[in-house]
Amino acid sequence: MILNPKELKAILQAMSESGAFELSLETPDFKLSVRRGGTVNSESAPIFAAAPAPAEVSPAPAIEVSPAPAIGEKENPYAGCLEVKSPIVGTFYRSPSPEAPAYAAEGDRIRTGQVLCIIEAMKLMNEIEAEFDGIVRKVLADNAEPVEYGQPLFLIEPEHVL
Amino acid sequence: MFSKIMIANRGEIALRILRAARELGIKTVVAHSEADVESLPVLLADEAVCVGPASAAGSYLNIPNLLSAAIITGAEAIHPGYGFLAENSRFAAMCSDHNLVFVGPTPDNMQALGDKASARELAQKAGVPVVPGSGIVDDLSDAALAATEIGYPVLIKASAGGGGRGMRAVRSEAELASAFAQAREEAKAAFGRPDVYLEKLIERPKHVEVQVLGDGQRVVHLFERDCSLQRRHQKLLEEAPSGVSEKVRQELLQSAIKLCREVGYVSAGTLEFLVAPSGEFYFIEMNTRIQVEHPITELITGVDLVQEQFRIASGEPLRYRQDQITLRGHALEVRVNAEDPEHGFRPTVGKVETLLWPGGPGIRIDSHLYADYVVPSHYDSLLGKIVAWAENRPAAIERMLRALAETAIDAPGMKTTVPFARKILADPRFRAGEAHTNFLNELEPSFFGGGL
Repeated sequence: MILNPKELKAILQAMSESGAFELSLETPDFKLSVRRGGTVNSESAPIFAAAPAPAEVSPAPAIEVSPAPAIGEKENPYAGCLEVKSPIVGTFYRSPSPEAPAYAAEGDRIRTGQVLCIIEAMKLMNEIEAEFDGIVRKVLADNAEPVEYGQPLFLIEPEHVL
Repeated sequence: MFSKIMIANRGEIALRILRAARELGIKTVVAHSEADVESLPVLLADEAVCVGPASAAGSYLNIPNLLSAAIITGAEAIHPGYGFLAENSRFAAMCSDHNLVFVGPTPDNMQALGDKASARELAQKAGVPVVPGSGIVDDLSDAALAATEIGYPVLIKASAGGGGRGMRAVRSEAELASAFAQAREEAKAAFGRPDVYLEKLIERPKHVEVQVLGDGQRVVHLFERDCSLQRRHQKLLEEAPSGVSEKVRQELLQSAIKLCREVGYVSAGTLEFLVAPSGEFYFIEMNTRIQVEHPITELITGVDLVQEQFRIASGEPLRYRQDQITLRGHALEVRVNAEDPEHGFRPTVGKVETLLWPGGPGIRIDSHLYADYVVPSHYDSLLGKIVAWAENRPAAIERMLRALAETAIDAPGMKTTVPFARKILADPRFRAGEAHTNFLNELEPSFFGGGL
């Protein structure tokens, strides 16, 4: 059994309505654990020395993850991956500066708490951190492109599922 | 004029704003929640940006995400519509901090006139009548003194109050002692404090509101609307102009202009008054935004209020002199809400399967519904507005009845207020112009049940 995005959405909604914060689900085929709420990845570092005054950023909500939608019936190279979605609206940056290497490139092994990317919103740089260990299988957003709330940014294969 | 603007709202008003912008050649960005991805304004927009989850707190009220959405799409201005952030002076100030134009009044305008207490003070200074009232009265002799000064009948109200608790109407001094004691007891039980104050009781008033447009230098009025048909302060049916005498109308209009001049009001706004059967009127508050019922004013004046908001926001001076705004005919608006009048107007939701809006002469529809649209449960219940214009009030009522009879909104499980509006329009008291703010509360229960 594979969860489709609709089913996952229903689970997330049910969690939100019930007030549950954590859910673990294990089937012979997969294991899913979802956590919501909290104030992870709210680290924000102003980079503009002369940023115009009262810019204000609310703590970014927890990243939402969902199983990658199935592409074809067979041999989906991203089967088993989870989508990391943007928790805020802003501009997506893969590295801290244009010269620096990307925080997370395809094939990289990442650890919980590691910065995956930056989303600039209202002159503030918001570091988006990984919420689980895994391997980056695909980067879905282009560098310096605007992203909306809920937009998938990365496909990451969680290691604990392997 | 702007080349691109963002709409920070949803539903019918987002669509209304989008239409105004498009006719002015302005590109539109619609900021929306996850629940509104398939809404009509999002589908029709030049660009759409998801700014948060279904809950309004995370999306339509999410100031950082809304400002970011405007910035990343290159929008020059944000139109807030009504509700949500429309009267939030902090949001308006933050827009300007980020070089975005807030399409509406200045933050100072909002603080001076949008805040009830400050607006009341301003009105008193400007010589515009407000509902006479006292401060907190601690004992019976103070209460008697205050009541005599205000003039009977008076209303005793709990200062911490709301919901009618700790509220007593007093028609003469003989009734005062027991009503005062009861109101204090009730206030103490309900709110933990027995503090009460007195206010003049205005019986069977009409709710009449004056539409204005200002550019910071000049202010014009666009006549008035009667919005007396309310249920729990939710308007159900509005009309323009009101039925007040010409003398009272002129006084109301001039009072509104005077107040707006005091603060150099910018953009569209509405000043609300209570009008007693005697013709005496009292300023209650100002709404510093475009209102739901603005189309009836547009139909009797021919002015597109939302387009004028854009023109003013882009720095153009007001295009109209007062003598260029003339009143023609009569307009009615029926709010089509997804509510069940037979069960206390409780909200209902559903998927629209069949949809037929009325048409023909003099009918305007402002609605974001389409066949197959699923009405989300996260937001208010307004599905759309049916607006009818005709040469005079009786003809407008007949036209509206005809339009409502044509309307077919079939969504299993969903009820609308259309049948209820038909009953109101057919009621002889309404037709005689006798509706007042308590009219719906005084209706016999049978009025709400059963079909037409």
